[in-house]
Amino acid sequence: MASILKAILDWLRSLFWKEEMELTLVGLQNSGKTTLVNVIASGQFTEDMIPTVGFNMRKVTKGNVTMKLWDIGGQPRFRSMWERYCRGVNAIVFVIDAADHGKLDQARAELWSLLEKPQLANIPVLVLGNKNDLDEALTVDQLIEAMNLQAITSREVACYSISAKNQVNIDITLKWLIKHSSSSSAAATSSLLL
Amino acid sequence: MTGTYVIKESSVYHMLQDAYRERMHFEWDDLGALMNLDHSVVLQEARVFNETPIRPRQSRLLLAKIVFLLYRGDSMSTTEATNLFFSITKLFQCKDMSLRQMVYLTIKELSTISEDVIMVTSSLMKDMQPTSEITYRANAIRALCKIVDPSMLPGIERFLKGAIVEKSPLIASAALVSSLHLFNEAKDVVRRWGNEVSEALNGKSLSQNSSFFGSSSSQGQVVSTSNIVQYHAIGLLYAIRQHDRMAVLKLVQSFSGQSKGSGGWLSGGSSSSSVLRSNAAHMMLIRYAVRVMESDPSLVPLLHTLLEEWIRHRSDMVSLEAARAVCQLKDVTDKQLTPAVNALQLFLSSPKAVVRFAAIRTLNVLARTHPEAVQPCNVDMEGLITDSNRSVATFAITTLLKTGNEASVERLMKQMQGFMAEISDEFKIIVAEAVRSLCSKFPGKHGLFLGFLSGVLRDEGGYEFKRAAIEAIVDLAKHVGECREVALGHLCEFIEDCEFTKLSVRVLHFLGEEGPGTARPTVYIRHIYNRVVLENAVVRAAAVSALAKFGAAPKADAALQRSVRVLLTRCLDDRDDEVRDRAAWGLRMTGGAEQTRSRYVRDDSTFSLAVLERRLVEYCADPQAAKKARFDFAAVPRISRAQEEETRHRVRLDAMDQVLTGSALSSSAAAKDDVPQSADTRADGADRLVQYAKQLAAIPALAAFGEQPLVSSQRAVELTESETEYVVRCVKHVYERHVVFQFDVTNTIAEQVLEQVEVAMESDDIDGVLQPVVAVAIPVLRYDAPGTAYVGFERLAEDVPAASFACTLKFIVKECDPATGEPEDGDDGFEDDYSLETAELGPGDFMQATYIPDSEALWESLEDGESIETFALSSFSSIEECITKVCDLLNMCPLDGALTPRSKAAHKAAFTGKWMGRAKTVARTRMTYQKGAGVTMELAVRSEDPAVSELVVSAIA
Repeated sequence: MASILKAILDWLRSLFWKEEMELTLVGLQNSGKTTLVNVIASGQFTEDMIPTVGFNMRKVTKGNVTMKLWDIGGQPRFRSMWERYCRGVNAIVFVIDAADHGKLDQARAELWSLLEKPQLANIPVLVLGNKNDLDEALTVDQLIEAMNLQAITSREVACYSISAKNQVNIDITLKWLIKHSSSSSAAATSSLLL
Repeated sequence: MTGTYVIKESSVYHMLQDAYRERMHFEWDDLGALMNLDHSVVLQEARVFNETPIRPRQSRLLLAKIVFLLYRGDSMSTTEATNLFFSITKLFQCKDMSLRQMVYLTIKELSTISEDVIMVTSSLMKDMQPTSEITYRANAIRALCKIVDPSMLPGIERFLKGAIVEKSPLIASAALVSSLHLFNEAKDVVRRWGNEVSEALNGKSLSQNSSFFGSSSSQGQVVSTSNIVQYHAIGLLYAIRQHDRMAVLKLVQSFSGQSKGSGGWLSGGSSSSSVLRSNAAHMMLIRYAVRVMESDPSLVPLLHTLLEEWIRHRSDMVSLEAARAVCQLKDVTDKQLTPAVNALQLFLSSPKAVVRFAAIRTLNVLARTHPEAVQPCNVDMEGLITDSNRSVATFAITTLLKTGNEASVERLMKQMQGFMAEISDEFKIIVAEAVRSLCSKFPGKHGLFLGFLSGVLRDEGGYEFKRAAIEAIVDLAKHVGECREVALGHLCEFIEDCEFTKLSVRVLHFLGEEGPGTARPTVYIRHIYNRVVLENAVVRAAAVSALAKFGAAPKADAALQRSVRVLLTRCLDDRDDEVRDRAAWGLRMTGGAEQTRSRYVRDDSTFSLAVLERRLVEYCADPQAAKKARFDFAAVPRISRAQEEETRHRVRLDAMDQVLTGSALSSSAAAKDDVPQSADTRADGADRLVQYAKQLAAIPALAAFGEQPLVSSQRAVELTESETEYVVRCVKHVYERHVVFQFDVTNTIAEQVLEQVEVAMESDDIDGVLQPVVAVAIPVLRYDAPGTAYVGFERLAEDVPAASFACTLKFIVKECDPATGEPEDGDDGFEDDYSLETAELGPGDFMQATYIPDSEALWESLEDGESIETFALSSFSSIEECITKVCDLLNMCPLDGALTPRSKAAHKAAFTGKWMGRAKTVARTRMTYQKGAGVTMELAVRSEDPAVSELVVSAIA
């Protein structure tokens, strides 16, 4: 009886506290954005070798939060369009292949040029160093260094080292994301009117 | 494609209706406002797409508005479209099916305007996965193929191949139609899908589908649409295989039905499984069969039996198409036509108007070429004159006019007068054209025709229609002497109240030509002068020119001339300078000597306009030319008015053929292949000169010979039989000191590519007057794409060599894939040669056949340069044969009636031309024919250059 009551209570609470949030995943090609989205959505790792042409849209419900995930292709031809999909979202997730040292400079340049866009001011950014299951992957501190994240002052920034393959640190990533579900919704609506 | 457009439009219309109802419900605004959608307002509203959560109903309505704007023809800038497009991509988060359908539709429309449409590729690919719903999949495929670029194609190839063989007709059709669109951009990729397409074509989707969808309601729907897959599949399969004649033949024969034993062509027993359930597909099959027959005449008997069988098909559509195909075959015999005409005759009494229309239209076209074959239908067609469908009735009458005899024409014309007012302009033109051709057929009925034509001229009608009627009257006035004055009277009446300047000018010009020769020219002068008083400047100018012609006519008596001069003098005060100029010129001419008058006012020759145009363009393009010399009009060949008229007449007939058969099944597609050939055979001398000169100017090796050839052959000489492996035609060009042989070579073997094609020529010219200097080879000669090789000789001496050349075609053969035309890798080919017939060079080749006005006077003035010889030509059995041969040898321009002897016993003819494009030459010949003795001919030639006269005479020897 108590469990039924609790379930009803949960349901009622979810009605009142239901929240929606929008997230955009960007990052260079082959950094693991689509794979990460699949892991978040289905909890399973699938080896997906097809590059994203354009974008994928997924809706994921975690607890009482519905996340709309815009997963944008990372090939150079799509990078100019990242900004369009970052406008007015609750948070930008920038995924980096932490094991590919050769592309770190490029990733930093793309991240910074994205953050310089006036339309995207104040939107929190989560930088994820993916593929930490590989030996040569950078640690969080090395990644912060490589991306020069300490220089970002005008907005909230976080950086985690994760592995979509082994599902390492996915939980703290989700926690961070859900924390930002409502905080910037006011900013989201205002930027929509631009 | 029209079909899909209509569907799209109607769906938009329905959505707008929905929207309207919705709006009425909320009492927003009325339908008028919806129809007057404003571009910028709609773009403003597009913010809806960015809202969270998505509002599907509103978004869908807005998308409908956008699509409506695009269909209406509103243009959208790239920035606007791109912004809109990216907003729309946000809608992919909503799973509402009807919204998603609208999204697909809008993306397709925006795909050509917006940038970066490739952005939705992944989303669309997700939607076309086998796990998605059918509606999603089909629409996603269509949208995806619009936005994908050829480089992306290999990535989605697997999905498309799968979709083609999908059981659901919705998906299969979407994939097939999309592939057809993609075929233009990525032939190689789509070509790989041939097997899947054949599977879709032959698949027994009918039974499978009905078992797949259990419920009876969906079954009905599936049965009706599943056949369309065959239609789309056959279209795509043909596109893939169209260059492989045998494959198309196989395709046609695989559906030839089980009754005939023609399955022998096929491997295995697939013929039994191949049944065309779609009538539309069957029609396409018939068209493909016709194309095969056109490209390979040897297959005509085989395929003709098939067509005949299909005429008996139970579907109207297929039967009509087959009958039409038979009627439009080239060289069709009356016996072959009989079954087709019989079928069409039955259709004439069909209760469906569209079937009657199709049948009568086919018969109408057929009646142009085979009136006697259509005659059996006359009774049925007469019944159709009163048909409630006016288009059917019009075709019935015009067909009857073609097949009818003198007696029935009168009755028909009366009936036609009855409903002229009720039919559209387009049909009025057809009627006017029909009457025009009747005029030449039954000149005796001119009164009747004139009455009819003048009657219709008084009715309302557009320019084209009035023009057709005017031309018909002009034809009558020209060719039927008795009715000329009446016809001119009608024309005068017409210009009294004519709203079309062009037609007024046409009529005034004609009055100026014909009027002076009539018994009472003053009548026309009054009408013409009225124009000067009442009309705009263009018409006034034309009227003044016409007046001048009256004044300058040889018959004009002093009183008439004086009156004309008075009128022209008044025109000197006109507001418009062109009118004043013409008046002044006219005054000068009417007062001038008889010779000047005939030279300028009644000039019976004109420049060859094509050549004149090209020379003038060249002259203007070269900034130095104007300083060097004045434009040389003498270098432009002249043609007589009669020749010009003939050219115009031919152009008109061609145009009319196009109007009547242009939309016809085979001709539109086949026209593409025919063009080079027909352009060659039809283009008259002058047009051809222009073509040659252009080609020659493009060859640097020949540039040293002179700017352009002085003389080029009138006709190409065939150096091969027409149905051989390689077809070669030879044209000769004479330069100041050089002679160039041009060889147009066509490779008719699809499996071969020829390289380094050249012609080796060996001369029997002992004196060595001609020295070979240049040979231009064709680097690569592909199947059915003609190429041109040249051989140039220098003339070392002044005299004109007569020589014959043994010609051999030399080349390197490489095997190739007929589909792509690319030689196989590593095939070095082998050298081969092919003997051609002998090429001849004679004095005639140095003569430019030009019409010279006033050849009579020229003849008199050239008494000194005469050369006369008499020939006994016993080998000819008639005058006609002889004169044709002489004309061929002389290669000069025959004057009036030169080629059409009136008597069998004796004939006189005259020719004109310019030797090497310069020295004017006139040839006169008298010939008599006696049975047993053959033809005796006297040839007299006079030329500005006496040496030429002798040479020309020697051409006959």
